[in-house]
Amino acid sequence: MDVESFVEKKIEEIRKIVGGKKAIAACSGGVDSTTAAMLVSKAIGGNLTCVFVDTGFMRKGEVEEVTRMLQSLGLPLKFVDAKQEFLEALKGVVDPEEKRRIIGEKFIRVLENVAEEVGAEYLVQGTIAPDWIESGGGLRDRIKTHHNVAGLPKEMKLKLVEPLKDLYKDEVREVARFLGIEWSERQPFPGPGLAIRIVGEVTQEKLEIVREANAIVEEEIEKAVERGEIEKPWQYFAVLLPVRSVGVHGDVRRYGYVIAIRVVYSVDGMTAEYAKLPHELLESISIRITNTLGKKVNRVVYDITHKPPGTIEWE
Amino acid sequence: MGVKIYVVDNGGQWTHREWRVLRELGVETKIIENTTPLETIDADALVLSGGALCVATEYQKLGRIGEYIDSGLPILAICVSHQYLAFHFGGRAGPAKVPEYGKTEIIIENQNDIFKGLPDRIVVWESHNDEIIELPQCFIVLAHSKNCKYQAIKHERRPIYGLQFHPEVEHTQYGREIFKNFIELVSR
Repeated sequence: MDVESFVEKKIEEIRKIVGGKKAIAACSGGVDSTTAAMLVSKAIGGNLTCVFVDTGFMRKGEVEEVTRMLQSLGLPLKFVDAKQEFLEALKGVVDPEEKRRIIGEKFIRVLENVAEEVGAEYLVQGTIAPDWIESGGGLRDRIKTHHNVAGLPKEMKLKLVEPLKDLYKDEVREVARFLGIEWSERQPFPGPGLAIRIVGEVTQEKLEIVREANAIVEEEIEKAVERGEIEKPWQYFAVLLPVRSVGVHGDVRRYGYVIAIRVVYSVDGMTAEYAKLPHELLESISIRITNTLGKKVNRVVYDITHKPPGTIEWE
Repeated sequence: MGVKIYVVDNGGQWTHREWRVLRELGVETKIIENTTPLETIDADALVLSGGALCVATEYQKLGRIGEYIDSGLPILAICVSHQYLAFHFGGRAGPAKVPEYGKTEIIIENQNDIFKGLPDRIVVWESHNDEIIELPQCFIVLAHSKNCKYQAIKHERRPIYGLQFHPEVEHTQYGREIFKNFIELVSR
């Protein structure tokens, strides 16, 4: 794609749409939302405020990391702690689609409050092609409710600005590099975060388990990439299954959770191949997870499903 | 002058990918609804997308693609549209004995036209519940897989091609070459 002319065209379009009005940008620290916010800021300057919502579903150390990253952009930034609100809203909810809808609606309500504070009429989102494609509509089947598309409440006051709607992740990364965004190669992380990496009901305990397991997967994979043993995968993460199995720890019976590891290669997220990782690497991830989370997790499995038939995330 | 090839949307997950590949190959393209009146379509050829529909029971939802097929324009029909070709010309499509999802190998029997320059076996990505069960006599088979006899077909006289697999996704080997061959056919 011709990145330069794309950026010029989008800036002009955004200026026409937003004019002299104010906007907020929902920023998770991911490549899509950061790129969208940067484009809009180039178009409307100080009329844009970035908002980071801490849902409580972020990865280990991510809130601090993302705050630093977003501050480095030099754009006005608001931080909202909505951890309790999100967790309470998901109490007793098991269905993955319902989870995604609840999270989508919560996001909008939180963002509407900020918009009111700063007097914004527009909401900038980093929506990309797979989000609306998989959300379905018309003839297209809904594969999953992406929180920023099908998860939006029917009634909302904010008008959407989505400059990346027609791009896939690999194209967004090109735009991000062009705009000088340092973390243009960061791995995708879904808006609903760890809430959809816990199959079944989300609880504080399960969040802590999956957060720790995920940190181990990320660390071990990244070390292997640095050592040149594997190419950097598209995505690599842990999923907590709602299944327990029997284990034996120091001659004691344990009945613990199962962690599934998902590592895939993809270019655009629309098709994906599971990564044929060396067994030594899988072994070190497995041992670290079960030793670290001993009382809670006693079994680790590796997901060997392509997309299709599986999707990358489990929910 | 560049050619114009439009993508007819039947609700596939990869309709937009077809548009992207055509755009990247320098073709003037856009996505149109499958109910667009034929007389308003100023394209040189059409790609008919896949979709979640079942040809035997939901063919009405495929809108006007029958008219497009009869229009004389070169046609590249993918997945559900490929199955519709059989239905349209008097054959049959229905549930596949072995549905294929994701990675599959196909064997190319006839390298003419859209498979020009490709090896005999390629890895492609699939996503289908149904398949062609009875191929109309006016079609020639170009490729098959272990579980599916009709992975690629061609009308014996007209520039109409059907593919059960998805040349538009990144994981399909030589997908771009298949599109390039189709574009070349259209440009001739």
